[in-house]
Amino acid sequence: MSSGQPLVRVEELQKYFWEQDSILDRLLGAEPVPVRAVDGVSFDIYRGETLGLVGESGCGKSTAGETLLRLQEPTDGHVEFDEHDVYELAGSELTEFRRDAQVVFQDPFSSLDPRMTIGEIVRQPLDVHNVDTVEKRRERVRELLERVGLSADQLDRYPHEFSGGQRQRIGIARALALEPEFLVLDEPTSALDVSVQAQVLNLLDELQAEFDLTYLLISHDLSVIRHICDRVAVMYLGEIVEIGPVEAIFEEPKHPYTEALLESVPRATTDERERDRETISGDVPSPRDPPSGCRFRTRCPKVIPPDDVEIDQEEYRAIMDLRERIERRDISLESVGEDGGFEFVDGAVSETDLPAFVTALKTRVIDRTLAPEHDEVVEEALAELASSNWERAADVLSSRYESVCERRRPELGEESHPAACHLHDDAEESIRR
Amino acid sequence: MTEDVLRVNDLSTRFFTTEGQINAVSSLDLRIERGEIFGIVGESGSGKSVTARSVMNLIESPGEITSGEIWYRNRDLVAEVEDDYPDAVDGEFVDLLELPDDLRRSLRGTSFSMIFQDPESSFNSTLTVGEQLAEAVEVQRRASANPRSTRARTREYSLGNYLLSSVLPSQRYVSEASRERAIELLEMVGIPDPVERADEYPHEYSGGMLQRAMIAQALAGEPDVLVADEPTTALDVTIQAQVLDLLDDLQERTGMTILLITHNLGVIARMCDRVGVMYAGEIVERGRLEDVFDEHVHPYTEGLLGSVPDLERAGDRLQPIPGNVPSLIDAEMDDRCYFADRCPKAMETCLEHPPEYDAGGSDRHQARCVLAEIDYEEGRALPADYFGDTERPAGDKHADPDRTEDDVEPERTRSVVDDSGGDRR
Repeated sequence: MSSGQPLVRVEELQKYFWEQDSILDRLLGAEPVPVRAVDGVSFDIYRGETLGLVGESGCGKSTAGETLLRLQEPTDGHVEFDEHDVYELAGSELTEFRRDAQVVFQDPFSSLDPRMTIGEIVRQPLDVHNVDTVEKRRERVRELLERVGLSADQLDRYPHEFSGGQRQRIGIARALALEPEFLVLDEPTSALDVSVQAQVLNLLDELQAEFDLTYLLISHDLSVIRHICDRVAVMYLGEIVEIGPVEAIFEEPKHPYTEALLESVPRATTDERERDRETISGDVPSPRDPPSGCRFRTRCPKVIPPDDVEIDQEEYRAIMDLRERIERRDISLESVGEDGGFEFVDGAVSETDLPAFVTALKTRVIDRTLAPEHDEVVEEALAELASSNWERAADVLSSRYESVCERRRPELGEESHPAACHLHDDAEESIRR
Repeated sequence: MTEDVLRVNDLSTRFFTTEGQINAVSSLDLRIERGEIFGIVGESGSGKSVTARSVMNLIESPGEITSGEIWYRNRDLVAEVEDDYPDAVDGEFVDLLELPDDLRRSLRGTSFSMIFQDPESSFNSTLTVGEQLAEAVEVQRRASANPRSTRARTREYSLGNYLLSSVLPSQRYVSEASRERAIELLEMVGIPDPVERADEYPHEYSGGMLQRAMIAQALAGEPDVLVADEPTTALDVTIQAQVLDLLDDLQERTGMTILLITHNLGVIARMCDRVGVMYAGEIVERGRLEDVFDEHVHPYTEGLLGSVPDLERAGDRLQPIPGNVPSLIDAEMDDRCYFADRCPKAMETCLEHPPEYDAGGSDRHQARCVLAEIDYEEGRALPADYFGDTERPAGDKHADPDRTEDDVEPERTRSVVDDSGGDRR
């Protein structure tokens, strides 16, 4: 399936949303802050295949889908559809693109106009593009409704008279009205119950075979992705971290994030309670200020320590977390210790209290015992905090423990199943040589 | 640990709407043992949330618990109420539905607690998380100090108090002790830096952290029974895994009983000891996890499990259940097996409403389906078009009963109960 020319080719697509960007903000001299929703993603979608785009909420998967359809203007990057640059299209070419590429939205309750009958809803694309005669359009609407499993004599009804699954079918009929080649399915089943979801997934499968459709399926549900996709791209914080054939992604995930995602899904089997789960801690960082280097490094269970440091992964994780909190100045020093804590004079704890302060702070911020050599470094850093010396404290830690994961942004390779992770750098380099 | 902590008998909860009477829960029996995690799974509109809310006494007009008993085992409560309400007491059990409202309300938090689906809308966005937890702590403290009177509790929150608290930060926590307890609770649910986090507002929390905070709030009164209504539906999978681990861990540490409501079979498999499958206001199959997942008898359970795409294996075609969740409007419900119109194995006997049969496996395994007693016979099958148009897969339209029930998707609550005719018989 992945042979020949791709139907859609996305290159370094970027979409930023700007905060503090109003005229008032400009007058007050505020710097606009970019929210990096989509930050340089590239992928190809071949004719007849289903590419899945999977990730957690806020990772930019829906924005990527909307931007590549030009429903949003991109910040940077190119999208080619059938060998034409989508963002350069104008006039009749743009109209043609609008016919060939369609979208099905997530929420069947808000994506249908409540004041139009479903006949009108499905006919609207035909009217807009002035296809055929009015008589033929009516005929086509009936056909479409029948095709998606609704009855043609329901076309005078309004959306509120239908259940969620039926509304999603209406949305699909509307998307198919213009005989498109390419459909973006943005979480098409996440608002539906499982039994209805299964009906809709089967329908999408049939339609693809019948009309030679190419799908981009955006979903957070890994089991749906596995069920209907040929290839999968995993997104994290605006970037694609891994892309490959569905079997490879699910059987041999390369990126620690993909592994963690797969581990986290509870299976509907009786062995589930005994299954060894390796879940990850923490939350997704803000896309306003994404971590340097690899964006997953703040949660990664396999973050790479410097070559000359011998350290247990869990200890390393704890030290990295501590460093991050120091960099964010996210420790309230005043509340360290029992009742009232230590007294700060001119922002520093007195010399005599210093050892007690360091011990108290350490028990609060690190929940495990460290090997002596690392303990020493941590204590040195915490002692800096006693005199509110945040930058020095962070420097102490970063000079010793800086990881390759934060210095260099891992690249997504070119092969058929690349992962953007430094753990796979070596393999890549040796291939190049 | 095999004593029942909760016995629900013959519970019916109905909603009286302009479209007619909706039987959200009908004649439901439920036994929950102390220290277990009991799961209720079902699709939206199956009545699982209404069941939870009935137990919590959170049914609001136009809904009403029309019949049934909810027996709760608690010796202290028995001692407290047996003089005033002798009818409500049976041995160590108290029938909650016989108690007056204010007394039932005082049980909320201390005996029963609930966590909701959507943490973002369950917190007051104008108060810090610490204050809201402290408030729960304070309510519990007063409830235990003064169990019978609910009035006394509100007296301390006067208008003057409120005004004072809006100017003086020191007045914001009711007491220093409750603040400390709030921080302790935050720490217990695994929120890093609880001291700093207690002074932050809900919008500064991520969804997963807010859900943790809500769990902390629910645990403030050390409840016997925690009702978790879709606790992870609004969360991403990696966060969901964290929250489930937390609930599991807390359950182990405190020994509380959890009634877990969800539509996600994976979550059920991950958490529960026993499970009940709900359909159209009834539990159609119940038993230990293995009974329901591996030895299921009811075709609905089979359909539900068959609809879930498998993560471990690439997909064959899914085996969905045809049709939609039925209308629960009283006038439309025939006295038959409610699943018969979607059931691939419907027989003539299914035209009578089936009782619960024992269904092999462990002694807890029961199914509301004749297949537990007799084998399926082609010869007695109902003709395919017996239920007329309703058989056509999703081609019919059914009323959406969700208007009266907060269920899986918040959007659904907005949808309207349809009344425009169609295939109504």
